[in-house]
Amino acid sequence: MTQFETLLSALKKEGVSFIIIGGVAATFHGSARLTNDLDVVYERSAENIERLARAVAPFKPYLRGAPEGLPFRFDPATIKRGLNFTLRTDVGDFDLLGELTGVGSFAAVEVESLEASLFGATYRFINLNALIRSKRAAGRAKDLEVVAELEVIREERDQQR
Amino acid sequence: MIASPDLESADLVVEFYKDGVDRTLIRENLRRSPEERIRALESLQRFAAEVRRAGALTRKDDAK
Repeated sequence: MTQFETLLSALKKEGVSFIIIGGVAATFHGSARLTNDLDVVYERSAENIERLARAVAPFKPYLRGAPEGLPFRFDPATIKRGLNFTLRTDVGDFDLLGELTGVGSFAAVEVESLEASLFGATYRFINLNALIRSKRAAGRAKDLEVVAELEVIREERDQQR
Repeated sequence: MIASPDLESADLVVEFYKDGVDRTLIRENLRRSPEERIRALESLQRFAAEVRRAGALTRKDDAK
């Protein structure tokens, strides 16, 4: 189980620039599906990478699905060398993306995001259209099932307007 | 522009899945605030974890 509030608060506290995507963003837009992890797109500047490493370190991040005992350290050097990380932490599964398929870098996602209040703080979420585009671009069967629900949400919201 | 066969088939799959989406559940969710939806997700996660734990325990007992 992922403690969304704990992870989000830690990122906020360190001033990390990030946007919530994936299943939690789908929930934000009205999805009824169960998601088990927190997915975010993060900004790739050196300063933000430092902040990100500092925010996540207390939760003992480790590569999800990797054998135990690898010399993995989620530090600025590792983040700079990589791009996307699927992590297991003490507070749940956490996926960090430097780029989002179908949308692009943090800057491109930011253009298609909106700010909302959650757990007493302000966070950015990818908008519904960009989320649908990213899921379509990912193209896996499970993503297309999500696309179907998100498109129904869009239809329902349009009807309510 | 002609859509590629892959995009066309993806559209067909999405349309097929859309028939199975429970719109009453979506409408109910849209009446809640985003924060209420995420709190409900956390609660559902806790419930799912508890059910998985109970299932695993039962399978372990059955194996004895």
